[in-house]
Amino acid sequence: MTIRGCAAVVNVECVKLAAQIKARAALAVCAAGPFAFAAAMRVQSSLPEDTLFGRSVKESGFAVPLVVLGFAALWVFPLLASVVGGDVFSAEDRYGTWKMVLTRSRSRSEVFAGKVVTALAFSLLAVGVLAVSSMAAGVLLVGSQPLVNLSGVLLDPAQATTRIALAWVSILLPSLGLTATAALLSIGTRSSVVGIGVPVVVSLAMQLAALVDGPEAIRQLMISSAFGAWHGLLAEPPYYGPLIRGTAVSAAYFAICLAMAYRLLLRRDIAG
Amino acid sequence: MNRPAILIRLRRALVVLAAIAASCCGSSPITAPRIEQAIETTFANLVHVQVGWLRMSPMDASEFRVTASCRKQLSGSDAGSGDWTCTVRWLGPDRQTLRDTFDLFVTTDGCYTATAAGESLGGPRLEMSDGSKVRNLLYAFDGCFDPT
Repeated sequence: MTIRGCAAVVNVECVKLAAQIKARAALAVCAAGPFAFAAAMRVQSSLPEDTLFGRSVKESGFAVPLVVLGFAALWVFPLLASVVGGDVFSAEDRYGTWKMVLTRSRSRSEVFAGKVVTALAFSLLAVGVLAVSSMAAGVLLVGSQPLVNLSGVLLDPAQATTRIALAWVSILLPSLGLTATAALLSIGTRSSVVGIGVPVVVSLAMQLAALVDGPEAIRQLMISSAFGAWHGLLAEPPYYGPLIRGTAVSAAYFAICLAMAYRLLLRRDIAG
Repeated sequence: MNRPAILIRLRRALVVLAAIAASCCGSSPITAPRIEQAIETTFANLVHVQVGWLRMSPMDASEFRVTASCRKQLSGSDAGSGDWTCTVRWLGPDRQTLRDTFDLFVTTDGCYTATAAGESLGGPRLEMSDGSKVRNLLYAFDGCFDPT
């Protein structure tokens, strides 16, 4: 496997991805959604009080990216993470194109690496666009007033910006963990419906399961917990325990799922 | 694989299972002392911010001497997520002792929503001297604490 070979696969996958309506639509929603939300908050009287920082969306624009972060953890991040990862392999099954792909000059490992890198890059891009758009929507449409954090302390704009940026960075690895899960399902089942749908459904189920008191160790092993680990960054003093555990769990999902996906693809019988 | 190797692997597996079982069956990290400490700190900080918003003489958060007493609703247990009631005693800006009750919903990850019981603390919005209205930070607020 060579880097040049992987890059060639990434180039081809990016061209294919750029032509897909679903990828463009996902990025467009990520860019425009927060502005629509912030604009709606400005004109309506009710607030999203069931989400952390929902009470503050009219007082400080910095609350907007945090409300979006809290809301998106439910199903938006799992969907963004799997919309490409869950389809990038199974699409070749759907169109019957594996034989054409694998008879080119690129090895099976290079095809795997190129497709995975493309899926991971799309997940990072989608989360990044949503983060920047949320921050811009909050600051431009509501303002950059100080934000009351989760311990009742006022954060000035510079502090708020830093902590919000860290909070968004903290959900990158869980997102990549779900992308790896989606890629594994995409290869294992050869179905895009399973590859995209199951990570979303499983994430929702995990979050529902985390609502009730259960074994703490089980709750911490669920990747959905990692999407809420940023809460500690917005407390005073900040606490990092959930963040460290969430990062470790996400890294484990990422490594295990990718290793299993790689073995599955290498061993797959494409002929016929 | 020879017999001692199997036994070593079996023993390791049992140790891991025992560790998982011990951590699984431990009590919930959502306890009254943790909730009380979180409420005391957050409430004092919010009073400090609110005093500033209302353009009153600035006071340090520690001057409000907030103490909280929390118990779980509808349950004999003194730990776990769900509905809690907290009674908060504090010194108001005029140095008078005040007592307020909050209904809390605490989630398994250590985050909570506190809402003043009844219409105490002036309701959800406060009118300022110039007639404008501000959100009453003390009437309903969210917070999080480290559950570990």
